[in-house]
Amino acid sequence: MEHNSKEVDGFRFLPPGLAAWILTFIPDGKFEGPIPWTPLDKPLSSARVALVTSAGISLKSDPPFDMEREKLNPDYGDPTFRVLPKATTATDVNVNHLHINTSYILEDLDVMLPLARMAELEAEGIVGSLAPSTYSFYGFQWGGTEFLNKAITPMAQQMKAEGVDAVLLTPA
Amino acid sequence: MGQAANFLEEAGFSTVVLTPTHEFNRTVGIPRSLAIEYPYGRLLGQVGDSQGQRDVLLAALTMLTEADAPGMTRHLPLTWPELPKDTHWHPPEMSPIIKAHLDEIKKARRK
Repeated sequence: MEHNSKEVDGFRFLPPGLAAWILTFIPDGKFEGPIPWTPLDKPLSSARVALVTSAGISLKSDPPFDMEREKLNPDYGDPTFRVLPKATTATDVNVNHLHINTSYILEDLDVMLPLARMAELEAEGIVGSLAPSTYSFYGFQWGGTEFLNKAITPMAQQMKAEGVDAVLLTPA
Repeated sequence: MGQAANFLEEAGFSTVVLTPTHEFNRTVGIPRSLAIEYPYGRLLGQVGDSQGQRDVLLAALTMLTEADAPGMTRHLPLTWPELPKDTHWHPPEMSPIIKAHLDEIKKARRK
């Protein structure tokens, strides 16, 4: 961990009981296993960046994420994903998620999916480009590989086809 | 999200996760994480706060070039302007996982 003036408390916004319960699933020590690593081999100003969020955002023209599945099986949300064009705005989307208040995203997409801010950085030359496609899935996937096969594998293929170098992920 | 980041990193992309709960990194190692103490569902900032969102976004993107080893977590020294009880980040109904484990959650709190 890099040290600076603040250690973020990841449980500050959770009720104490829920925080204590979640902590029973988290080991005390640092993760010691292998971590994959792909260095960015160019400056940010030349890189193509894609955005991925697990906030359950879908175009109004696409099927919404399936909330009923998770109500029947609380450990396992909808494992599919949706593609959003880079020009998408809050008026174009539905947001379906059973773990957050989705109203803020419907007011301002950039609170979770910063497409407008990325477009500004692209126009200013700070980022090489924002990828044509942005991706959203539904974040509640406890184990299993169906989610990787159904969502992340095709996402990665499309990113490759669009020349993506780097990805920013924003979990809900 | 850690699984997704690792899969994408293995597929040849440089990734960075803007995380509200960096403690999960002790369970799944994540290549680059920017920890932020903002409410769930508003990780970039407040509605309409373009400058604040931009600052967080730039901090995350900077990690793509500045992180030099897998597993690096940087902590953003930002404070949300509301108390947790006033953030209203919760869904309108209790989520299915909490409903299903409510007794265990109550017991965890008593310990």
